[in-house]
Amino acid sequence: MVTSLSSNDHHALDEAKAEVAAAEAVEKQTLPEAPLGIMATSGPVRSPLVTLAWIAPGTIWLLLFLIAPLLMIVLVSLWERTPVGFEAFSFTGAAYGRLFETSVYTNTLRDTVIRSVIITLLCILIGYPIAFFLARCVKTVKFQIALFIVVLAPFWVAYVVRIVSWLPVLGRQGLINYFLVNVLQVVQEPVDALFYSTFAITLALIQLYVLFMVTPIFFQLATLDNASVEAARDLGATPSRVFREVIFPLSLPGVLIGCIFVFVLTMGEFATVRLIGGGTIQSVGTIVYEAYVLPDLPKAAAGATILVAVMTVGVAIMLRFSKIREVV
Amino acid sequence: MSLFTYLIILIIISIPFAAMVFLPMKWSKPVLVASFIIFILFMYGPMMTMGVLSLQGPEGSMTLPAHDLFSGHWYSQLNADSDLMAGVRDGIGKSLWISLIVAGITAILSLTLGMAFRRSFRGSGILFYAILLSLMTPGLLLSLGLSFLLYYATPYLNDVGINYHTGQAPLGFVPIIGVQAVWALPFGFLVMMSIFNRYDARAEEAARDLGASSVRTFREVTLPLVWTGVFGAGLFGFTLALNEFERTFLVSGAINTLPLELFIITSTSVLRPYVYSLGVVTILFSFLLIGLFLIVSAVAGRKKALAIDEDDGGSMNTSAMHAAPSGD
Repeated sequence: MVTSLSSNDHHALDEAKAEVAAAEAVEKQTLPEAPLGIMATSGPVRSPLVTLAWIAPGTIWLLLFLIAPLLMIVLVSLWERTPVGFEAFSFTGAAYGRLFETSVYTNTLRDTVIRSVIITLLCILIGYPIAFFLARCVKTVKFQIALFIVVLAPFWVAYVVRIVSWLPVLGRQGLINYFLVNVLQVVQEPVDALFYSTFAITLALIQLYVLFMVTPIFFQLATLDNASVEAARDLGATPSRVFREVIFPLSLPGVLIGCIFVFVLTMGEFATVRLIGGGTIQSVGTIVYEAYVLPDLPKAAAGATILVAVMTVGVAIMLRFSKIREVV
Repeated sequence: MSLFTYLIILIIISIPFAAMVFLPMKWSKPVLVASFIIFILFMYGPMMTMGVLSLQGPEGSMTLPAHDLFSGHWYSQLNADSDLMAGVRDGIGKSLWISLIVAGITAILSLTLGMAFRRSFRGSGILFYAILLSLMTPGLLLSLGLSFLLYYATPYLNDVGINYHTGQAPLGFVPIIGVQAVWALPFGFLVMMSIFNRYDARAEEAARDLGASSVRTFREVTLPLVWTGVFGAGLFGFTLALNEFERTFLVSGAINTLPLELFIITSTSVLRPYVYSLGVVTILFSFLLIGLFLIVSAVAGRKKALAIDEDDGGSMNTSAMHAAPSGD
C-alpha cells in the first residue's frame, strides 16, 4: 500500500514507474533496514545529531501518547484496586480474577470475535468489487480520482455523527422498515431485527469501516502490473482464472492490510455498540467502559489487555495465512 | 430474522463479487457499476435521511415520515437560549481551538519525521511501525491507557508545581491534543512521505554548493518545496481532530468537544431532530475542508507543472492523489 503512494496512476509513463522501481530496488539493496521499501532517496548525508533532531519530536510524542498508555494498560491490570483508582506497583492478579468471576466477559469476547470476523469477511465481499471497479473499470484518471474522493469523503465525517445518522434508518419506524412495509410490501410487520440488535450493529459497523478495506485494495489494484493480466488473458485464461491466479494474489497485500484494519478496529469498538445496541448488547469495549466508570480501573485494564492479546493473535493468524498463500 | 433471510441477504451481497470473478469484463462491468451506485447510497443514505429529517418543522420526529419539510426550525434551534445548546456551542468553540493546535502539531511532527525518513537510520523500521501502530490501536484503548497515565502522574505533576487537574483548562487540553495528534500523525506522515518520494533534491544540493548553511537551505529551499505537504498534514490534523471521539472520550474530563457533546446528548437525553441539524452542520463543515484541501493541492500541482519543465506526466493528478493514502 505504501509503495503505491509514489505512483498510483497506473496510466503514468512507464518510464517514471521504472525509475521509481529502480530507485526502490537500489534502496532495498543499500538499506536493508528500510521497512516496506518506503524510504525516500533524496536525503543529503547528515550527522547523527541532525538525524536525532529530526526524529526527536515525533518519537517523544509517540512514546508519551501512544506507547506509554498502551504499556500502562498492561501494568494497571496487574495492580491492586483502590476505591477511586489503583495502587501503583502493588502487583496482584486479582483484576483478572474479578474479570473471569462470571462468564460474561468470556461470552462477550467470543461474540465480539465472531462479529469482527463476520464483519471483516463481509467487508471484503462488499469492498473488493468497489475497489476493483474504481481501479480497473474506470478509464480516465481524473474520473477515477473524483469517484475515489466521493467514496472516501464519509471518512472525514465525525464518527459519532455517522452513528447518529443510522438512527432514522434503523429501528421499528426507520427508513428500512418503512421501505419494506409501505413501499415494497414484502412484510406485514416492521422487522424487529433492525432494532437494538446484532444485525443493526453489524450493518452500521460495515458502513463505518468498509472504507478501511476499500482503500488499501484500491491502491494495490491501481498499481497492479497490467502486463501480467494481459499476458494471462492472451494465453487464453478464463476471466475467473485470471482473477484467481493473477489479480487476486497480486492484490492480497491490500486485502491483508484491510483485514487487519477492520478486524482490529471493530474488535475495540465501543460507541457504535452503545448507541445502536441501545445498552442491550455488549461488546468487550462496553464491558471495559462499564468497569472504568464503576470505577474498577484494574478490571477495565485487564479486559483491555486480553482484548489486545486476542487482537494480536488474530493479526498473527492473518499474517501467517497470507504467507501460506504466497507460497502456494 | 430466520437463517433463511440471512442466507438471502448474503447471496445478494455476493452478487458483485461473483460477477467480478466469473464474468468477463464486458458483462461484469454493468453489475459493478450498479453495485457501485448502491454502495454510494449505502454510504450516503443514512446521512441524506438525516439531512431530510433535519429540515422538518417543530412537530418533526426522529423517524420518517417527515413532517412539514423545509422549515429550518431545527437549525434555528441550534442558536436557542438553552443550557443544552449553550453546551453545544461551547463544545464547537473548544473543538475548533483544539483542532487548530492539533493541526499545527501534526504538521510539525509530520514534517520532522518526513525529513528524518529521507535517510535510513538505526531503528527507522521500529519507528515506522510505531507511527502506523496508532492507526491500528482502537480509540477506546488509547484513551483508557492515557487516563491511567494521567491518574498515576497527577500527584507527581502537582508536586513539581504543575497544577494539573484532569479536565481543567488549559492543562487539561494537553492529553486531548496528545491523543488527537497521535491519531492524525500517520496520515500526515504518509502525506509527507509521498511528497519526499517525488522530491527533487538537486535544488537543495545547489543551495548547499553555493555555501548556504543547512538551516538556511532548509528554510529557503526545502520548506517552500514541500509546503503543500505540510499544509495537507495540518489539514488532516484539523479534520481528524475535529471529528475525533473515542480517543478523546476518557481523557477529556470536564472539557467537552463537539463529538463528545453529541455522544452525551445521544446516549442520555430524549432525542429531538436538532441532533440531526447539528450532524448536518458538522458534515457540511468537514466537506468544506476536504474541498479546500483539494483546491489547494490542485493549485499547487498546477504551479509545479508550470515551474518544472520535465513534468513527470501528470503532476496535477498525482498531487491531487495525496488525499488518497489518507483515506485509510
